Amino acid sequence: MIFMNDQKENAKNNCPLLQIDSVYKAFGGVQASCDISFDVDSNIVLGLIGPNGAGKTTLFNLITGVYAADKGRILFDQMDICGKKINELVELGITRTFQNVELFNSMTVLENVMLGQHVITKCSFLGAVFRIPWIIKEEKKARNDAMELLSFVGLDKFAEKKSSDLPFGWQRLLEIARALASMPKLLLLDEPAAGLNAVETAQLGELIGKILNLGVSIILVEHDMSLTMNISDKIVVLNHGKMLAQGTPREIQSNEAVMTAYLGRE
Amino acid sequence: MKQANKKTANLFSQKKIHYLIFLVIIIVTGFCVDNPYYLQVLTFIGINSLLALSLNMLMGYAGQVSLGHAAFYGIGAYATAILTVRYNICPWVALVFAILIAVGVAFLIGVPTLKLTGFYLGMGTLGFGMIVNIIFREWTSVTGGASGFVGIPPLELGPVSFDSMRNYFFLVWAVMLLSIIMCQRLIDSRIGRALRSIHDSAHAADAVGINTKNLKLQVFILSAAMAALAGFLYAHLISFISPGSFGFMVSVRIVTMVVIGGMASIWGSLLGASLLTLLPEWLHAFSDFEMVVYGLILMLVMILMPQGLTRGFIDIYERSKRKRKK
Repeated sequence: MIFMNDQKENAKNNCPLLQIDSVYKAFGGVQASCDISFDVDSNIVLGLIGPNGAGKTTLFNLITGVYAADKGRILFDQMDICGKKINELVELGITRTFQNVELFNSMTVLENVMLGQHVITKCSFLGAVFRIPWIIKEEKKARNDAMELLSFVGLDKFAEKKSSDLPFGWQRLLEIARALASMPKLLLLDEPAAGLNAVETAQLGELIGKILNLGVSIILVEHDMSLTMNISDKIVVLNHGKMLAQGTPREIQSNEAVMTAYLGRE
Repeated sequence: MKQANKKTANLFSQKKIHYLIFLVIIIVTGFCVDNPYYLQVLTFIGINSLLALSLNMLMGYAGQVSLGHAAFYGIGAYATAILTVRYNICPWVALVFAILIAVGVAFLIGVPTLKLTGFYLGMGTLGFGMIVNIIFREWTSVTGGASGFVGIPPLELGPVSFDSMRNYFFLVWAVMLLSIIMCQRLIDSRIGRALRSIHDSAHAADAVGINTKNLKLQVFILSAAMAALAGFLYAHLISFISPGSFGFMVSVRIVTMVVIGGMASIWGSLLGASLLTLLPEWLHAFSDFEMVVYGLILMLVMILMPQGLTRGFIDIYERSKRKRKK
């Protein structure tokens, strides 16, 4: 087993993993996020949907520390994470992937995953130069863990290949493996199915289910409706920077306001 | 997984063999070459290699361009010159101060300038290099001004005097060997991976939790300290320094060594530094056309081997191996 988050702990405290509390963000006169509030419970997949320009990416960037909210709070494990930098968030247990896959292309597949472990491993400048025994041990463990993660996403055979040599779909998987390497509690996937074919999308859905079993919660921004509706436990719909609806996929599918926003019904 | 472990183990022992070969070459060369002029050229190659290696850590691996690297080289040289001549401090103590000063300056300069990227970082470091050079030139009461600083004492370590060219050759190359081992270990570690990741994609480096700001500053400081060490070795070798040895053209030359030798290649620094130190010596025969031929050779290397000499030679080797297989 790669790693396993303790789900009981959060369940015991009976508080959601991530709370978004009346968050507001404007760029000049454009209200990109206006008074958005919802909770992400532990161990669920939350789908974030909405038409283009609805403010999904802004919200994503607010959670991952790219922007700071003008008003409102974002609580992770009951701690306010507003204004924290992305590298601090990774240490707390929030990690993300990118819409257009950002890998380290001059490095091997294995090295890419090992970079994901950066916040877990401890070796410093001096430690590396003097190669203290525990550092060699740490390096070996990091390598083994990275290999296990690679077999988890099914890329272990390509560990020594350059990451840029992989086909696009596999690069996606590699990016997810790298994100998992920091043992996150919350994983944000930015349009993970973009550019994938139907088979690959189905595999991705299966992988997301497997990740859920590790005790990792997932926030998913995705245009592929069938994927989102199939794997999400809860869906939040945004439109024009405002929250339009939230609920189970079934509730959302029968929601009048959502239908109007998507299909333009009068 | 065991296979992966074995691979690491093999890699490490393979590197140990490289170091051993390098050590043997140093010892053999040191004892076989008798001509003091050749020994001096070889010693200069060592100092330049150290400089190139220091910049390669910053530029080749972490991807941060510096066009003012000669400033740190100069700071090392001037610090030891002033401390040993004016204040009669033992050179080895002066070395500690020289490195500390370089580290301090690198910290002060690095915090604001490393926020820049690409061309802008180049401009920032270029300005810094020029300012430091002007200080060397104009602060006559301390640095001796444009006429330079004379009478820097030779190095001594207990009974061993580094007055003779051969001993100095061994000193410089021992330092170089240790630096290579240090840098190689760094590159093969978690820190080295993080450094290379900044070069590949700063975005993704942030996203995996690397504090890129701190890491860039740390490698900048390391690079400055190594350049100051090279400056120290240079000052005590020729016992006379002047601002001209640490000007803009020298910064450019260090960058050229790194690019010609091969970015992100430790042994490439050695190759680049050797070529750029030896070429002017070989090209004396062309007298008036020396610079033209020099420029042409550099252009040809870049056209034929755009990834630098190391990558170029490896490619040629692999191509010939493939041909033989056929």
